[in-house]
Amino acid sequence: MNYKILVVDDEAPVRELFNDLFKKEGCSVKTASTGEESVEMVAKEDFEVVLMDIKLTGMSGLEALKQIKELKPATVVIMITGFGYDEDLILKSKEYGCAGYIGKNMSISQMITSFKLFAQTARAKVK
Amino acid sequence: MSLNVDKAIHNIVDEANSLIFCCDHTGKIIMCNKKFEETIGIPRDSIVGEDCLKVMYRSLLTTPGKEHLFKAMVDDAARYKRPNNFEGILTDGKGEQHIICWGVSPILTGEKQLEGILFLGNDITLIKEREASFRNIDETLKNIFLSIKEYALYVMNLDGNIIYYGMGSENMFGWQRNEVIFKHINSLHAYDDIAYKLPFILEQVRSRGRYELDSYFIKKGGESFPVSLTVTRFIDANGNMAGYIFMAKDITEKRKLEYQIFQSEKLAAVGQLVSGIAHEINNPLFVISGRTDMMLSAKPLGKKLKENLKIINAQINQIRKLVDSFLCFTRKIPPNTEPLDLNKVIKNVLPFLSYHKLPAKEIKVKKLLAKGLPKIKGDSHQLQEVFLNLLINAYQAMPEGGVLTIKTDSISDDWVLVEISDTGCGITPEGLKNIFMPFFSTKKEGTGLGLSICYNIIKNHNGSITVESQVGKGTVFTLKFPFIKK
Repeated sequence: MNYKILVVDDEAPVRELFNDLFKKEGCSVKTASTGEESVEMVAKEDFEVVLMDIKLTGMSGLEALKQIKELKPATVVIMITGFGYDEDLILKSKEYGCAGYIGKNMSISQMITSFKLFAQTARAKVK
Repeated sequence: MSLNVDKAIHNIVDEANSLIFCCDHTGKIIMCNKKFEETIGIPRDSIVGEDCLKVMYRSLLTTPGKEHLFKAMVDDAARYKRPNNFEGILTDGKGEQHIICWGVSPILTGEKQLEGILFLGNDITLIKEREASFRNIDETLKNIFLSIKEYALYVMNLDGNIIYYGMGSENMFGWQRNEVIFKHINSLHAYDDIAYKLPFILEQVRSRGRYELDSYFIKKGGESFPVSLTVTRFIDANGNMAGYIFMAKDITEKRKLEYQIFQSEKLAAVGQLVSGIAHEINNPLFVISGRTDMMLSAKPLGKKLKENLKIINAQINQIRKLVDSFLCFTRKIPPNTEPLDLNKVIKNVLPFLSYHKLPAKEIKVKKLLAKGLPKIKGDSHQLQEVFLNLLINAYQAMPEGGVLTIKTDSISDDWVLVEISDTGCGITPEGLKNIFMPFFSTKKEGTGLGLSICYNIIKNHNGSITVESQVGKGTVFTLKFPFIKK
């Protein structure tokens, strides 16, 4: 796996964990701590996959997802959620074009598997 | 001048709005007035000179079959020379019936010899009809009062004695009328706090005219129930205060509803708190578990370190499961509900029971599943969780064995009913109060979330769950779901 990834989460330990994990998997990783910052970064630079926490302070994860998909529709956005399952949020993010979601209640291996699946499927569609 | 008086008297008699006729001492009619003539519909000429009893029979002057009474009155007046009154039904010339009150008076000479008999009849049909309707009103009021069951109306006089004990009083208090009437009011309220508050209540009524309070009454049998009591002044016909009127309403049902609302509000508040906490825990937990996973996959790894990391991971998984169940508690129902046959859902759950560590003693499972049960709209996974929870609880309540009954039925064109009952240890009243509260558990190993999750799932299905239990006898959970109307 060698995607160029942007991780968006307002908590530093979570950002660092994703950074370490995906670097270990062979990806190049950059991080942002707010929705606003992530939109700015996507505008300046191309990322293949954005991992976006659904719950952010300031601009919400949903709003950031919407703006990124408007800005660069080819970017694959995967949502991260601390919620076990929230129907409303998931339906809404699907509507805005997210490729899938990863729960923070998953184990690391489950999460990596899900990530790979979503990213591959979405990239295949783009191509 | 005397001629004029006679003429005047003659006119008065003739024009009087009463039936008047008169016979001599032999019984022959010697005169009658216009009203009598018109009423019986026979000309005066044909009446005068006739025997009065013959006229009575022929003209139906009294109730058919009761002519002997009329005759007896006439004989009595003639023999004992005293006036009599009696009522009878007269059928007039047109065939219409009138109730007549007859006055039969002997006419005596100066020597007290019988000269004749005067008959004076007044039509009292209208008065009688009015009386009957008054009786009907009384009867109707009585029936209305007797039909009212959830109100009790009783009246106390100024001495403190019960002078009226009506409406639903017997039903509400369990005391019969003859046990309390004319006794002091404290015999009704011996054990509740009304007796204690009575001086205050009466003071308020005297000064303000009325007083309302919510209180508890205790029945004859000792059972207590909530009431809303209104006490007002009792004013007699002369406008004087004669006592106090007590009007009590049984508000047991209202209280139950209020309690349910209170419970669900409390649950909603706890739900918010719990999901907030769960989310806050999830983040650091995710980081910890991610880091340990990474460490575990790093090589080379000392044996001791690897073991420790595995222990940490196992503990994290435990917390994660707990947090997941917290989140289940606030979970919203997914919109992809489908028409479900609850019988099928229950049958699917039964095999799962064998995966749980259940008591070894023999438990007989009785399935009373109604055929052709209407379908409900629901999420089969969530409902399986509900039934599994209830069934496991029932099993665990019967460590010494027993009977587990699962019953389904449809009631009142609207609801599908599921009853899960056991013959186990039962739940204490204190336990029943908190049974659907999160973190309330009577089991050593329980999280106390099972039934609160069930409660939420059922609420999200627009259903209801209630529980009845007796310690030592068993517990019945009753679930209701609205079914899909065709």
